[in-house]
Amino acid sequence: MTTTESRPSGRRPAQIVDMSWDPITRIIGNLGIYTKIDFANREVVECRSTSSLFRGYSVFMKGKDPRDAGFITSRICGICGDNHTTCSNYAQQMAYGVKPPKLAEHITNLGEAAEYMFDHTIFQDNLVFVDFCEAMVKATNPGVLARAERTTAPRGDVHGFKTIADIMQAFNPFEGEVYKEALKVSRVTREMFCLMEGRHVHPSTLYPGGVGTMPQPNTFTDYLSRLMHVIDFVKKAVAMNDDVFDFFYEALPGYEEVGKRRILLGCWGAWQNPDVVDYRYANMNQWGRAMYVTPGIVVDGKLVTNNLVDINLGLRIMLGSSYYEDWVNEQPFVTHDPLGNPVDMRHPWNQTTVPVPQKRDFDGNYSWVMSPRWHHPETGEHLALDTGGGPLARLWTTALSGLVDTPYVKATGSSVRISLPKGESLPETTLEWHIPKWSNTIERDRARPYFVAYAAAMALQFLEEAMGMLRSGDTKVYENFEVPDEAIGCGFHEAVRGVLSHHLVIRDKKIANYHPYPPTPWNASPRDIYGTPGPYEDAVQGQPVFEENGPDDFKGVDIMRTVRSFDPCLPCGVHMYMGKGKTLSTVHSPTYGASHG
Amino acid sequence: MGSIRVGRPQAKPDTPTHVRGLHQGNKGPYKEQSGHHADGTSDARRSTGIHSKRHDALIEEMPNISPG
Repeated sequence: MTTTESRPSGRRPAQIVDMSWDPITRIIGNLGIYTKIDFANREVVECRSTSSLFRGYSVFMKGKDPRDAGFITSRICGICGDNHTTCSNYAQQMAYGVKPPKLAEHITNLGEAAEYMFDHTIFQDNLVFVDFCEAMVKATNPGVLARAERTTAPRGDVHGFKTIADIMQAFNPFEGEVYKEALKVSRVTREMFCLMEGRHVHPSTLYPGGVGTMPQPNTFTDYLSRLMHVIDFVKKAVAMNDDVFDFFYEALPGYEEVGKRRILLGCWGAWQNPDVVDYRYANMNQWGRAMYVTPGIVVDGKLVTNNLVDINLGLRIMLGSSYYEDWVNEQPFVTHDPLGNPVDMRHPWNQTTVPVPQKRDFDGNYSWVMSPRWHHPETGEHLALDTGGGPLARLWTTALSGLVDTPYVKATGSSVRISLPKGESLPETTLEWHIPKWSNTIERDRARPYFVAYAAAMALQFLEEAMGMLRSGDTKVYENFEVPDEAIGCGFHEAVRGVLSHHLVIRDKKIANYHPYPPTPWNASPRDIYGTPGPYEDAVQGQPVFEENGPDDFKGVDIMRTVRSFDPCLPCGVHMYMGKGKTLSTVHSPTYGASHG
Repeated sequence: MGSIRVGRPQAKPDTPTHVRGLHQGNKGPYKEQSGHHADGTSDARRSTGIHSKRHDALIEEMPNISPG
């Protein structure tokens, strides 16, 4: 049933304890993780992820003016709303048949690059690292901390920390150096964002057809000076992450099994190439492949496709464990795409959301999240793709496709090379992300700072091109359009934590159907009709437990590292309750360490 | 919409987007504001409303861009 094979081993009689974390808040719906942990064999036997919040965007979008879609869908998320606006505009531009001027694309790209830098930094350094900080490791694996104190950091010349324990200390919330520095950096990157998109996180200057940002020299120079200010932080972050994550593999042999699942990654591509994109469905393969992060689907380490048309047609929204009525008997909205290919009834274009609230039953329906899957045309499987938290899938598909070849970023076929210029203290640096052996917790976390570097490098190129256009007096940033009576559109983009698609059907100049599919429904999906578990469930299920604590003071740090490696937006409060009627309530992230201050 | 019960809409989505006789923003301020050109380009005069004719670059070789 599980997508990942279980590990064979000599087993002891099981000692199974129910453990749950509910809610892991601030994601699309309230996420809960319910597990059964076998303490005798130190592994997770079963895992179910559930969401207890119904949003209903697809229900109340119906009948609205399609031009409002970008502003409404932005409110889906309080952390990556601009990704929704951008994606909605892409879908609308396809429906209206309008291509924004090149400078508008550059401004959107610059805003999105700043968003990736901002969000990845705050998530990695202020939330993920809480699980790897000195205080946490001391509480869960004291042996590992003792070893970290004796281990010299190999890249100390870049980041300036002597031992691994020094780095972990700098990760401590509220008082650690890296924690505090990251907060400052995320403020600066957010300012960069606001220069381009007007306001964070719900942009006020992004519209279908272009932007309302006034392109003048200081728009771009203000952005550039901020970017150069944080560029050394990015170089240091990559070095620090590599040191800490390499150390975990070394100190805890077998740690690669934590959060490991079959390599099933999806990426829908980011940053349109303004010279190629025309938003016509018929040319979607060409402009999709020209994007500066190549879209694609990777199965077992091999690239299945990087054609956005194939990706689009393979989307299937499955039920199985979700609180909805099936829509197969409803009228389809779109039977064929503009190229004449048949569109499945389970495709987002044809989906109708009919919620059926009910009691949670882990043997039946247990989540408000549906189960998005990708139908592999050759094997016929419905693949439960994950996004690897965003960066892992983006770097993986880009590296394998080998299409990105820009002055600062180059995909080689097995790696991605990123060049960053000289900063305030560090020289010009070339970073190289290599395709890892596993899709696991550590690799998902490691990819994140590399993608921050990637975004910084791409931003430099967008800036140079935008300033070139500005100097030639080409300051057009908006193209007018008419809303058609009937049209369909789809937008493909990358939210910070992974794949994002918006599917739109217009009838009588109004929205007839609208379905946004952000990354968390993919990652947090429950078991589908075929019994295939979603990525969180699959990654946690069967993972070994390395924490030294027993059932009574168990923190579940290995499980939380796995769930957080997928970047489920901002995990805030985690409540924990234990079996046998004994309830413990612990608040341990990200305010963990509050008592230290 | 199936069996889902929804409230009465508060918004009136069919409000006209343009009132006749009023200036249409998308047509551009080309007449009133020199410095904006119909082809989407602009020059230094865009940034001032006072004696804008005098704010062109002095020599043709000079960049004629908004001072922002």
